[in-house]
Amino acid sequence: MSKYSLKICHLYPDLLNLYGDRGNILALSYRAGLRDIDTEIVALSMGQSFEKDQYDIVFFGGGQDAEQKMIRRDLVTVKGEAVKEAVEEGMVFLCICGGYQMMGHYYQEQDGEKIDCLGALNVYTEARKQRFIGNTEYRCELPINDPIIYGFENHSGRTYLGDNVRPLAKVVYGKGNNGEDGTEGAVYKNVIASYSHGSLLPKNPELCDYILTLALKRRFGEDFTLKPADNQFEEIARKEFDSCKK
Amino acid sequence: MRSFRVGFALIIAGGIRLSLRLLGKGATALPGKIAVKIAPRFIREMASGCDIITVTGTNGKTTTTHMISESLRKSGYYVATNVSGANLSSGIATTFAQELRPVRRAVSKGLKPVYVLEIDEAAFAKVAGDLSPKVCVVTNLFRDQLDRFGELLYTRDCIEKGLDMTDALILLNADDSMIAALRKNRESRTEFYGVDERSMTRNNVTDTVASRALPASSDAEYCLSCKRKYEYGARSFGHFGTYSCSSCGDTRQEPQQSVYFDPTKSSSDPGLPLVFQGKDYSVEGVLPIPGSHNIYNAAAAFAACTSFGKIIGDPKLSPIQVAAALSEVQPAFGRMEKIRVGDKSFCILLVKNPVGLDRALSMVASASDADGMYLLLNSNIADGTDVSWIWDVDFESKTMPDKLYVSGERFGDMLLRLIYSGVDTNQLRYASMSEAFVLFEEALSACEPGKCLYVLPNYTSMLALRKFLVGKYRLKDFWR
Ligand SMILES: [Zn+2]
Repeated sequence: MSKYSLKICHLYPDLLNLYGDRGNILALSYRAGLRDIDTEIVALSMGQSFEKDQYDIVFFGGGQDAEQKMIRRDLVTVKGEAVKEAVEEGMVFLCICGGYQMMGHYYQEQDGEKIDCLGALNVYTEARKQRFIGNTEYRCELPINDPIIYGFENHSGRTYLGDNVRPLAKVVYGKGNNGEDGTEGAVYKNVIASYSHGSLLPKNPELCDYILTLALKRRFGEDFTLKPADNQFEEIARKEFDSCKK
Repeated sequence: MRSFRVGFALIIAGGIRLSLRLLGKGATALPGKIAVKIAPRFIREMASGCDIITVTGTNGKTTTTHMISESLRKSGYYVATNVSGANLSSGIATTFAQELRPVRRAVSKGLKPVYVLEIDEAAFAKVAGDLSPKVCVVTNLFRDQLDRFGELLYTRDCIEKGLDMTDALILLNADDSMIAALRKNRESRTEFYGVDERSMTRNNVTDTVASRALPASSDAEYCLSCKRKYEYGARSFGHFGTYSCSSCGDTRQEPQQSVYFDPTKSSSDPGLPLVFQGKDYSVEGVLPIPGSHNIYNAAAAFAACTSFGKIIGDPKLSPIQVAAALSEVQPAFGRMEKIRVGDKSFCILLVKNPVGLDRALSMVASASDADGMYLLLNSNIADGTDVSWIWDVDFESKTMPDKLYVSGERFGDMLLRLIYSGVDTNQLRYASMSEAFVLFEEALSACEPGKCLYVLPNYTSMLALRKFLVGKYRLKDFWR
């Protein structure tokens, strides 16, 4: 047993299991393991309440429309207040695509119908006919050494950021939040949200380490530092991706 | 009577095909594409009066089509079928154009012609009506190339639309809740095939979350109509099993034709005994092509052949004879075929989506002759440009061979997938796509005598690999 361990909450893993978002959890767990930090993964699905003092990192991925509809109701009515409080208290969240949208105020369908979402993030999303699909490259605004993040986006929602919410990154290649303002993703307190599948964290190890560090500092004190890790294979993957992404 | 326009289209298509062949190219789509441009009713007119069986669904189309075709050939039919992968309307039109004369010749020799066509799910909505098939087989619905289709339910809508354009007998996979739901409003012309419940794993093991890994979840855990989580009595793999919804009562339908096998025996090794069962018969056979997913393909092919026989009134397509013919089917080139090179062999398993890769990894893990596994990942349009799906596959629970090789245009992604699953990096060799064939030779020469190198490419990396192998080992070409 290592003296350090993190608990990762995976929201609705049985419903949001598309586009390889599961890779983000594998990456968090793998890279924590490289530093002898244990990780425990807790699956939390429909009807189960969110124990906000239990987790260090919460992962919220994306899925298909039919499944996201089921989840929105559960998120708002069963887990709602506890998740919002956790966000305000600085719990670390990683939200991808559908998870990102559902953390916002609402999702407006193409026919104009507005579906209430959690409202933990001051953003809203409007669906459009044209789907943004393709490889992406962004310049991350968070303080990480190599700011280029790579991913794959696949969404018809256009997300717009409100006050107090910063973009995660600037678009270099791809569409990002809405294809209009050159922003991608969102950051609010310790919530990091993005449209990047890919999976995001395996190919962006610095962002992965940044998230781990946020959680570790919160749990074990501000002076906690993450040991450096050998990234040679991640670098190979990044180079390979860069050369064939278009 | 064929219209002038279709006659003209045939001449042009024939000319294009000939020129492409002279240039040494496989003419599997272009002739048909042009023919349909010239005569929009091309497929409808050509298909008129023909006996046609269609196969659609996300996985297993090619193998099921192959199994049906071979079984019918052994039963005295002349079978016209499309080349693997040429399953859009262009490929189907090409098949009709090029089979015109061979079919005529076969008829003059007294053979009965039948068309067995694999059809892409999206294309099915458009061409099924033109074909007016006798039998439509639907294999399954798994995530596949979502960046092309957007959503799984969209894919199902396409199949649904196509079915409604025909009055064919519909053969559905009883164990796939998403596919079985297609029976609704079509009950009178729907039958089911599936795996015998006794051959499935009982569902008494709940998912255990390993400390570092997490189980991959399946595509259809919840009832589509009332969103309640399905309960399973037994499971075969993925979301296949005896599901039931406690809220609306939706439940797995008892298949009219099912396949039984001993669940303690490995389906990875050749010759798994099968029992084909119907209401008033039970006949023995063997699984002609290894792999648990091929049990479903065999069940589908068996149901297709016997049902077709009933419809056209051919006593030769009895359960006993179909089972015998099906048991002798050989794998198609480059699909599960073990190819001997000197004192060792290699075997190519096409993997293009999560469940396909999951099945292939399981198969390699339980193959007693595996000495090396070579994964190739490309991301061209035909592959799906999104490679994220490799993270949905449960590598963590599989035992991998000691020697692992990775290539393809996206080898970096696959490399990370393996490493993050806990593979020791010393076991890994990798190369970019331009060096993929050198790596193949290296892998083959490192393979022990008597053993087999398992090669798992996705679609376009498989095409490239085949081309190389055809030249290198003088193997027969994959287009006819
Ligand atoms: Zn139900």
